[in-house]
Amino acid sequence: MSYVRIENINKSYQQQKVLNDISFSIEEGQFLTLLGPSGCGKSTLLRAIAGLNEIDSGSISVGDRNITALPSKERQIGMVFQSYALFPNMTVFENIAFGLKMDKMKKSEYTPLVEEMIALIDLKGKENRYPAQLSGGQQQRVALARSLVKRPKVLLLDEPLSALDAQIRRSLRTEIRLLQKRLKMTTIFVTHDQEEALTVSDRIIIMNQGRIEQEGSPEDIYTHPASEFVARFIGSYNVLKRSDIGLDSLPDTELFAVRPEVISIAPLAEAPVAELGTATIEGKVEQLYILGNVIRFTVSAGGLDILVDALNNSTVHRIQEGMDVRLFLPADKCEPLRQ
Amino acid sequence: MARTSSIQNKMMLLVLIPLLVWLGAFELVPVLRMIAMSFQNNDGQGFTLGQYVKGLTNPLYGKAMLNSLKISFISSVAGLIIALVCSYSITRFTTKLRDRMIMISNMITNFVGVPLAFAYMILLGSNGMLTLIGKELGIRSIAGFDLYSEAGLTLTYIYYQVPMAILLVYPLYNGIREEWKEAAAMLGASVWSFWRHIGIPVLLPGVLGTFSILMANALGAYATAYALTGSNYNLLSIRISALVSGDIFPNFQLGSALAVILAVIMIASLVINEWMASLSRRRGL
Repeated sequence: MSYVRIENINKSYQQQKVLNDISFSIEEGQFLTLLGPSGCGKSTLLRAIAGLNEIDSGSISVGDRNITALPSKERQIGMVFQSYALFPNMTVFENIAFGLKMDKMKKSEYTPLVEEMIALIDLKGKENRYPAQLSGGQQQRVALARSLVKRPKVLLLDEPLSALDAQIRRSLRTEIRLLQKRLKMTTIFVTHDQEEALTVSDRIIIMNQGRIEQEGSPEDIYTHPASEFVARFIGSYNVLKRSDIGLDSLPDTELFAVRPEVISIAPLAEAPVAELGTATIEGKVEQLYILGNVIRFTVSAGGLDILVDALNNSTVHRIQEGMDVRLFLPADKCEPLRQ
Repeated sequence: MARTSSIQNKMMLLVLIPLLVWLGAFELVPVLRMIAMSFQNNDGQGFTLGQYVKGLTNPLYGKAMLNSLKISFISSVAGLIIALVCSYSITRFTTKLRDRMIMISNMITNFVGVPLAFAYMILLGSNGMLTLIGKELGIRSIAGFDLYSEAGLTLTYIYYQVPMAILLVYPLYNGIREEWKEAAAMLGASVWSFWRHIGIPVLLPGVLGTFSILMANALGAYATAYALTGSNYNLLSIRISALVSGDIFPNFQLGSALAVILAVIMIASLVINEWMASLSRRRGL
């Protein structure tokens, strides 16, 4: 039996459904990410799991306990907020110790636990600083430690990195993942950042308009998007119609997702003949961007703008903006999409 | 470029002149004159600390200081408690209602002095509306209420302290973030625990600052007290007034010394306020 079970959760605000029959489960120690655009219901769902938002129907279980009707403080769930939510009148030590004090633990009992946590988040020597005296990254680490010190059964992370700058974001997300693995903490992470989700998660659930669009491993989600929404949201997929590709061997659906990097490009004048099972599309290079080791072409073909990523090497250097080109799309790389 | 900037600075100073003249003529010169007079003898000559000695040792003025401090303290504490409750409830209103409540508080803050005393006379004077209703219904606490006593004066002081305290306390509640409550709840804190460990400590510097402003406000009040009790109630502001304008034997020098003592008490209140505010700023509250 799964460790966390979310079953048939529904929630409406003023007759607008924000969570529509949401069900999923998480194994113990797993890192699950709820990914979706703003307003898709991911934070509402997380807050419902935390007990901060009431739900209209459905159930939430952790282990063998149904926690649906329990108040937040009895759920044994930790939560890290986007804005850190550190108590400004308390030092780093006091913030981390707060939950243990609320559990009526004696100072002599909680001091070593708090010190251990401070060492774990690498803030030794800053125990007596107030939150306002810490950087954003340090504050978020304190918030994380404050949740973890109580050894919650599930840790919820509500866009914990979105207030940080790009470099700190990247290092902190790695730290969070390492910490989660080390403590084997069952974690639910909410983000709207695809790269972040793909980097840290064991599993990803993509949400849209209060529903689950797709769930699976990062590899699954990236290589086999199930719908047009996922294909467009998860990366710069080309979403093409069956008629655009024009191959009979394609599965029986109308829309297909094709990743830019699986499409080959060659100048029309020197283009080879297509192999069996590969579609060809002819067009003109409208734009060309060098993204480090990759060059991204935008090719205009019969009213379509197709993105093509090619390795930045001498083979593609001949291709310039305005040049007529031929694109090669292998049929087995065209992912059929649910509509 | 530098020349243009210099001309601009001179122009700015020119614009400041009317303000500086006004401040000098009506603030600085009178204050300096008052301080100078407070060190003169009754004939306005020489240098003496006698006026301060008299002001601090004479039982009449000592009692006036105590009365002023007592009435200011009680009205400030009561006003603050009422304002803490009212401001919190205002934060729970809709934005529209909230704005209206703040606007009303702003208006009432300026309803002081003789009009306020007159309003209270109409309500709770010897033949006031509430007094007569109290008599009719046999409610002795209202029927027998003496507006012209210390209790009456305290009531009117509280009345004008409350809206001012609301204006000062209300923004403090905006500093209490909803996420703190949620984070505390997730960590096992009850509502009371949240207020005890986080809410009240966060509000406290601001609340104490507000208290010191209310104290200063009440200590300097004169018109309401004079309109209600004349010189029958012994307050420091009334004593100063009697010494400089109303007494048959005016003593400007003693009046000045008492005014300086009052100003020192008020400045001390404001210094405490600034100290509390800087404490809050250091903690990023």
